Amino acid sequence: MTEYPLFLAMGVTALAVSLVFLLLRKRRSFYEYPDAKDQETSIPISWDPLTSELSARIFNPDDSDFVARESSRQVARWFRTKRSSLALDWVLAIRKHVNLLMQTYRRAARNNPDLNPANELSLGFEFLLFHVTSGIFYLVVWLVGPLKAAAFVRYPLGLAGQLRKMTEDILPRGTPVAVELLDNKPEPNNRTATL
Amino acid sequence: MHGELKFADLEAARRDLENRTLAKIEGDFARLIYLASMRDYNTGEYHHEGLACQFTETLARRVLAATHRDVFRRLVLCSVEELVEQLDSYVRSNGSTLSDFVRVWEKLQPYTVTVPLDSSPLTARFFALNVRAALAVLERRQARPLPDPRSASPRP
Repeated sequence: MTEYPLFLAMGVTALAVSLVFLLLRKRRSFYEYPDAKDQETSIPISWDPLTSELSARIFNPDDSDFVARESSRQVARWFRTKRSSLALDWVLAIRKHVNLLMQTYRRAARNNPDLNPANELSLGFEFLLFHVTSGIFYLVVWLVGPLKAAAFVRYPLGLAGQLRKMTEDILPRGTPVAVELLDNKPEPNNRTATL
Repeated sequence: MHGELKFADLEAARRDLENRTLAKIEGDFARLIYLASMRDYNTGEYHHEGLACQFTETLARRVLAATHRDVFRRLVLCSVEELVEQLDSYVRSNGSTLSDFVRVWEKLQPYTVTVPLDSSPLTARFFALNVRAALAVLERRQARPLPDPRSASPRP
Protein backbone atom coordinates (compact mmCIF):
# COMPACT_ATOMS: atom_id res chain seq x y z
CA MET A 1 0.00 0.00 0.00
CA THR A 2 2.86 2.35 0.79
CA GLU A 3 4.10 2.40 -2.77
CA TYR A 4 0.86 3.85 -4.18
CA PRO A 5 1.67 7.48 -3.26
CA LEU A 6 5.12 7.05 -4.78
CA PHE A 7 3.72 5.72 -8.07
CA LEU A 8 1.11 8.44 -8.05
CA ALA A 9 3.76 11.13 -7.53
CA MET A 10 5.88 9.68 -10.34
CA GLY A 11 2.90 9.57 -12.66
CA VAL A 12 1.91 13.13 -11.87
CA THR A 13 5.51 14.32 -12.39
CA ALA A 14 5.77 12.54 -15.73
CA LEU A 15 2.45 14.00 -16.84
CA ALA A 16 3.45 17.49 -15.72
CA VAL A 17 6.77 17.26 -17.55
CA SER A 18 5.06 16.06 -20.72
CA LEU A 19 2.49 18.83 -20.49
CA VAL A 20 5.13 21.51 -20.03
CA PHE A 21 7.05 20.35 -23.07
CA LEU A 22 3.90 20.00 -25.12
CA LEU A 23 3.07 23.62 -24.35
CA LEU A 24 6.60 24.75 -25.01
CA ARG A 25 6.65 23.15 -28.43
CA LYS A 26 3.84 25.44 -29.45
CA ARG A 27 5.64 28.56 -28.27
CA ARG A 28 7.91 29.29 -31.17
CA SER A 29 10.03 32.37 -31.07
CA PHE A 30 12.66 34.14 -33.09
CA TYR A 31 15.35 32.73 -30.85
CA GLU A 32 14.36 29.13 -31.26
CA TYR A 33 16.82 26.75 -32.82
CA PRO A 34 16.00 25.32 -36.21
CA ASP A 35 13.96 22.14 -36.13
CA ALA A 36 15.70 18.83 -36.10
CA LYS A 37 14.00 18.15 -39.44
CA ASP A 38 15.81 21.07 -41.02
CA GLN A 39 19.14 19.71 -39.89
CA GLU A 40 18.64 16.15 -40.93
CA THR A 41 20.84 16.53 -43.96
CA SER A 42 23.47 18.64 -42.35
CA ILE A 43 26.10 16.61 -40.57
CA PRO A 44 27.92 17.63 -38.47
CA ILE A 45 25.26 19.35 -36.42
CA SER A 46 26.38 22.83 -35.72
CA TRP A 47 26.58 23.69 -32.09
CA ASP A 48 28.02 26.65 -30.33
CA PRO A 49 30.28 25.13 -27.66
CA LEU A 50 29.83 28.26 -25.61
CA THR A 51 26.26 27.24 -24.90
CA SER A 52 27.40 24.40 -22.67
CA GLU A 53 29.90 26.58 -20.84
CA LEU A 54 27.16 29.10 -20.18
CA SER A 55 25.72 26.81 -17.52
CA ALA A 56 28.60 27.80 -15.25
CA ARG A 57 27.45 31.41 -15.41
CA ILE A 58 23.68 31.04 -15.77
CA PHE A 59 23.41 29.00 -12.58
CA ASN A 60 26.00 31.03 -10.68
CA PRO A 61 24.64 33.42 -8.01
CA ASP A 62 27.57 35.89 -8.23
CA ASP A 63 26.10 37.99 -11.05
CA SER A 64 22.67 38.28 -9.44
CA ASP A 65 24.25 39.21 -6.11
CA PHE A 66 26.43 41.82 -7.77
CA VAL A 67 23.55 43.38 -9.72
CA ALA A 68 21.39 43.40 -6.57
CA ARG A 69 24.17 45.15 -4.66
CA GLU A 70 25.09 47.67 -7.34
CA SER A 71 21.79 48.64 -8.91
CA SER A 72 18.18 49.40 -8.06
CA ARG A 73 15.70 46.82 -6.82
CA GLN A 74 13.83 47.06 -10.11
CA VAL A 75 16.94 46.28 -12.19
CA ALA A 76 17.85 43.41 -9.87
CA ARG A 77 14.38 41.89 -10.27
CA TRP A 78 14.50 42.34 -14.04
CA PHE A 79 17.93 40.67 -14.15
CA ARG A 80 16.76 37.68 -12.09
CA THR A 81 13.70 37.21 -14.31
CA LYS A 82 15.79 37.35 -17.49
CA ARG A 83 18.33 34.92 -16.09
CA SER A 84 15.56 32.49 -15.17
CA SER A 85 14.20 32.68 -18.68
CA LEU A 86 17.69 32.07 -20.09
CA ALA A 87 18.16 29.10 -17.77
CA LEU A 88 14.94 27.51 -19.02
CA ASP A 89 15.97 28.08 -22.63
CA TRP A 90 19.37 26.61 -21.86
CA VAL A 91 17.73 23.37 -20.67
CA LEU A 92 15.65 23.29 -23.85
CA ALA A 93 18.75 23.86 -25.98
CA ILE A 94 20.56 20.96 -24.33
CA ARG A 95 17.53 18.71 -24.82
CA LYS A 96 17.27 19.71 -28.44
CA HIS A 97 20.91 19.00 -28.98
CA VAL A 98 20.73 15.56 -27.40
CA ASN A 99 17.74 14.82 -29.61
CA LEU A 100 19.81 15.76 -32.65
CA LEU A 101 22.62 13.57 -31.39
CA MET A 102 20.26 10.62 -31.14
CA GLN A 103 18.81 11.26 -34.59
CA THR A 104 22.30 11.30 -36.07
CA TYR A 105 23.11 8.15 -34.17
CA ARG A 106 19.97 6.41 -35.45
CA ARG A 107 20.87 7.25 -39.03
CA ALA A 108 24.41 5.97 -38.53
CA ALA A 109 23.20 2.84 -36.73
CA ARG A 110 20.94 1.82 -39.63
CA ASN A 111 23.99 1.00 -41.73
CA ASN A 112 25.91 -0.74 -38.98
CA PRO A 113 25.60 -4.54 -38.94
CA ASP A 114 27.54 -4.95 -35.67
CA LEU A 115 24.96 -3.51 -33.34
CA ASN A 116 24.62 -5.09 -29.94
CA PRO A 117 20.96 -5.25 -28.79
CA ALA A 118 21.99 -4.96 -25.13
CA ASN A 119 23.94 -1.79 -25.84
CA GLU A 120 21.07 -0.36 -27.85
CA LEU A 121 18.63 -1.04 -25.03
CA SER A 122 20.98 0.56 -22.55
CA LEU A 123 21.31 3.60 -24.82
CA GLY A 124 17.54 3.86 -25.14
CA PHE A 125 17.19 3.69 -21.37
CA GLU A 126 19.83 6.42 -20.89
CA PHE A 127 18.03 8.59 -23.43
CA LEU A 128 14.75 8.13 -21.59
CA LEU A 129 16.43 8.86 -18.28
CA PHE A 130 17.99 12.01 -19.73
CA HIS A 131 14.59 13.24 -20.87
CA VAL A 132 12.95 12.57 -17.51
CA THR A 133 15.86 14.12 -15.59
CA SER A 134 16.12 17.20 -17.78
CA GLY A 135 12.33 17.55 -17.71
CA ILE A 136 12.28 17.47 -13.93
CA PHE A 137 15.23 19.87 -13.88
CA TYR A 138 13.29 22.22 -16.14
CA LEU A 139 10.38 22.14 -13.70
CA VAL A 140 12.69 22.78 -10.76
CA VAL A 141 14.25 25.80 -12.53
CA TRP A 142 10.79 27.06 -13.39
CA LEU A 143 9.59 26.66 -9.82
CA VAL A 144 12.53 27.85 -7.74
CA GLY A 145 14.74 29.72 -10.22
CA PRO A 146 18.18 28.89 -11.61
CA LEU A 147 20.18 29.79 -8.51
CA LYS A 148 18.41 27.34 -6.24
CA ALA A 149 18.36 24.71 -8.97
CA ALA A 150 22.10 25.04 -9.62
CA ALA A 151 22.96 22.01 -7.51
CA PHE A 152 21.00 19.76 -9.87
CA VAL A 153 22.41 20.95 -13.21
CA ARG A 154 25.05 18.23 -13.14
CA TYR A 155 22.43 15.47 -13.51
CA PRO A 156 21.10 16.27 -17.00
CA LEU A 157 24.57 17.36 -18.12
CA GLY A 158 26.14 14.17 -16.79
CA LEU A 159 23.57 12.00 -18.54
CA ALA A 160 24.02 13.94 -21.77
CA GLY A 161 27.78 13.35 -21.51
CA GLN A 162 27.16 9.66 -20.95
CA LEU A 163 24.94 9.52 -24.03
CA ARG A 164 27.68 11.12 -26.06
CA LYS A 165 30.18 8.52 -24.91
CA MET A 166 27.76 5.70 -25.69
CA THR A 167 27.11 6.97 -29.21
CA GLU A 168 30.75 7.76 -29.95
CA ASP A 169 31.64 4.25 -31.16
CA ILE A 170 29.04 4.03 -33.85
CA LEU A 171 29.00 7.53 -35.23
CA PRO A 172 31.11 7.85 -38.36
CA ARG A 173 34.43 9.58 -38.09
CA GLY A 174 34.29 13.22 -39.09
CA THR A 175 30.86 13.50 -37.49
CA PRO A 176 31.83 15.27 -34.35
CA VAL A 177 28.18 15.39 -33.36
CA ALA A 178 29.20 18.66 -31.93
CA VAL A 179 28.79 17.61 -28.41
CA GLU A 180 31.66 19.68 -27.28
CA LEU A 181 28.72 20.83 -25.29
CA LEU A 182 28.79 17.93 -23.09
CA ASP A 183 32.45 17.96 -22.37
CA ASN A 184 31.70 20.01 -19.31
CA LYS A 185 35.24 21.22 -19.04
CA PRO A 186 35.43 24.98 -19.36
CA GLU A 187 38.61 25.88 -21.14
CA PRO A 188 40.90 28.49 -19.65
CA ASN A 189 39.97 32.02 -20.59
CA ASN A 190 43.29 32.77 -22.22
CA ARG A 191 43.31 29.94 -24.70
CA THR A 192 44.59 30.65 -28.17
CA ALA A 193 42.30 31.14 -31.10
CA THR A 194 40.64 28.07 -32.52
CA LEU A 195 41.33 28.19 -36.19
CA MET B 1 48.50 23.41 -52.28
CA HIS B 2 46.33 26.22 -53.47
CA GLY B 3 43.66 27.27 -51.00
CA GLU B 4 45.08 25.14 -48.22
CA LEU B 5 45.89 27.00 -45.06
CA LYS B 6 48.91 25.93 -43.10
CA PHE B 7 48.73 26.01 -39.34
CA ALA B 8 52.07 27.85 -39.14
CA ASP B 9 50.75 30.60 -41.40
CA LEU B 10 47.59 30.89 -39.34
CA GLU B 11 49.61 31.15 -36.17
CA ALA B 12 51.89 33.77 -37.71
CA ALA B 13 48.90 35.82 -38.86
CA ARG B 14 47.27 35.52 -35.46
CA ARG B 15 50.44 36.68 -33.73
CA ASP B 16 50.74 39.54 -36.16
CA LEU B 17 47.17 40.66 -35.47
CA GLU B 18 47.68 40.40 -31.72
CA ASN B 19 51.04 42.13 -31.56
CA ARG B 20 50.54 44.87 -34.12
CA THR B 21 46.89 45.70 -33.68
CA LEU B 22 45.17 44.25 -30.65
CA ALA B 23 48.03 44.99 -28.25
CA LYS B 24 47.41 48.69 -28.85
CA ILE B 25 43.74 48.38 -27.94
CA GLU B 26 43.09 48.42 -24.23
CA GLY B 27 40.62 45.89 -22.85
CA ASP B 28 38.66 43.05 -24.37
CA PHE B 29 35.57 45.14 -24.87
CA ALA B 30 37.37 47.62 -27.08
CA ARG B 31 38.93 44.70 -28.96
CA LEU B 32 35.52 43.17 -29.49
CA ILE B 33 34.18 46.40 -30.94
CA TYR B 34 37.22 46.68 -33.18
CA LEU B 35 37.02 43.10 -34.45
CA ALA B 36 33.27 43.34 -35.06
CA SER B 37 33.87 46.52 -37.06
CA MET B 38 36.19 44.56 -39.37
CA ARG B 39 33.21 42.49 -40.48
CA ASP B 40 31.07 43.32 -43.47
CA TYR B 41 27.44 43.69 -42.37
CA ASN B 42 26.14 42.19 -45.60
CA THR B 43 28.42 39.25 -46.15
CA GLY B 44 29.59 38.59 -42.60
CA GLU B 45 33.17 38.37 -43.88
CA TYR B 46 36.10 40.09 -42.26
CA HIS B 47 38.47 42.48 -43.99
CA HIS B 48 41.84 43.71 -42.81
CA GLU B 49 43.95 45.40 -45.42
CA GLY B 50 47.30 45.06 -43.67
CA LEU B 51 46.85 41.44 -42.70
CA ALA B 52 45.58 40.51 -46.15
CA CYS B 53 48.59 42.18 -47.79
CA GLN B 54 51.07 40.46 -45.55
CA PHE B 55 49.42 37.06 -45.70
CA THR B 56 46.37 36.28 -47.86
CA GLU B 57 42.78 37.50 -47.87
CA THR B 58 41.46 34.06 -46.83
CA LEU B 59 43.95 33.72 -44.05
CA ALA B 60 43.22 37.21 -42.74
CA ARG B 61 39.50 36.39 -42.68
CA ARG B 62 40.05 33.16 -40.80
CA VAL B 63 42.30 34.77 -38.24
CA LEU B 64 39.98 37.71 -37.68
CA ALA B 65 36.97 35.42 -37.28
CA ALA B 66 38.81 33.18 -34.82
CA THR B 67 40.14 36.07 -32.78
CA HIS B 68 36.70 37.65 -32.72
CA ARG B 69 35.24 34.38 -31.39
CA ASP B 70 37.97 34.19 -28.78
CA VAL B 71 37.52 37.70 -27.45
CA PHE B 72 33.74 37.30 -27.44
CA ARG B 73 34.02 34.03 -25.55
CA ARG B 74 36.16 35.62 -22.88
CA LEU B 75 33.62 38.41 -22.43
CA VAL B 76 30.63 36.08 -22.38
CA LEU B 77 32.17 33.93 -19.70
CA CYS B 78 33.30 36.78 -17.49
CA SER B 79 31.15 37.98 -14.60
CA VAL B 80 28.93 41.06 -14.75
CA GLU B 81 31.31 42.69 -12.30
CA GLU B 82 34.24 42.19 -14.69
CA LEU B 83 32.09 43.38 -17.57
CA VAL B 84 31.37 46.61 -15.71
CA GLU B 85 35.12 47.18 -15.37
CA GLN B 86 35.62 46.38 -19.05
CA LEU B 87 32.92 48.84 -20.09
CA ASP B 88 34.25 51.49 -17.73
CA SER B 89 37.73 51.09 -19.20
CA TYR B 90 36.28 51.25 -22.72
CA VAL B 91 34.46 54.52 -21.96
CA ARG B 92 37.62 56.05 -20.52
CA SER B 93 39.68 55.00 -23.55
CA ASN B 94 37.36 56.51 -26.14
CA GLY B 95 37.01 59.86 -24.44
CA SER B 96 33.22 60.06 -24.17
CA THR B 97 31.44 60.83 -20.92
CA LEU B 98 29.88 57.99 -19.00
CA SER B 99 26.39 59.50 -19.07
CA ASP B 100 26.46 59.98 -22.87
CA PHE B 101 27.86 56.50 -23.36
CA VAL B 102 25.20 54.82 -21.23
CA ARG B 103 22.39 56.83 -22.86
CA VAL B 104 23.51 56.03 -26.41
CA TRP B 105 24.28 52.39 -25.71
CA GLU B 106 20.95 51.81 -24.03
CA LYS B 107 19.18 53.32 -27.01
CA LEU B 108 21.17 51.95 -29.95
CA GLN B 109 22.33 48.71 -28.34
CA PRO B 110 25.44 48.51 -30.54
CA TYR B 111 26.70 45.50 -28.57
CA THR B 112 24.13 43.34 -30.37
CA VAL B 113 26.12 43.58 -33.60
CA THR B 114 29.36 42.53 -31.94
CA VAL B 115 28.28 38.90 -31.64
CA PRO B 116 30.22 36.47 -33.87
CA LEU B 117 28.21 34.91 -36.67
CA ASP B 118 28.36 31.34 -35.39
CA SER B 119 27.20 32.13 -31.86
CA SER B 120 23.94 30.61 -30.76
CA PRO B 121 20.96 32.90 -30.13
CA LEU B 122 21.11 31.82 -26.49
CA THR B 123 24.71 33.01 -26.16
CA ALA B 124 23.85 36.28 -27.88
CA ARG B 125 20.93 36.85 -25.51
CA PHE B 126 23.09 36.02 -22.51
CA PHE B 127 25.73 38.51 -23.62
CA ALA B 128 23.17 41.25 -24.30
CA LEU B 129 21.61 40.72 -20.87
CA ASN B 130 24.99 41.00 -19.14
CA VAL B 131 25.90 44.16 -21.03
CA ARG B 132 22.54 45.74 -20.20
CA ALA B 133 22.99 44.87 -16.54
CA ALA B 134 26.53 46.29 -16.62
CA LEU B 135 25.18 49.50 -18.18
CA ALA B 136 22.56 49.74 -15.43
CA VAL B 137 25.28 49.38 -12.81
CA LEU B 138 27.40 52.05 -14.50
CA GLU B 139 24.41 54.36 -14.71
CA ARG B 140 23.67 53.88 -11.02
CA ARG B 141 27.31 54.49 -10.09
CA GLN B 142 27.33 57.64 -12.14
CA ALA B 143 24.14 58.92 -10.55
CA ARG B 144 25.47 58.29 -7.06
CA PRO B 145 26.69 61.56 -5.50
CA LEU B 146 30.43 61.69 -4.98
CA PRO B 147 31.50 61.84 -1.34
CA ASP B 148 32.28 65.35 -0.13
CA PRO B 149 36.08 65.57 0.11
CA ARG B 150 35.82 68.02 3.06
CA SER B 151 33.86 65.58 5.16
CA ALA B 152 35.69 62.48 3.94
CA SER B 153 38.82 62.77 6.08
CA PRO B 154 38.82 64.76 9.26
CA ARG B 155 41.90 66.86 9.84
CA PRO B 156 44.21 65.69 12.57
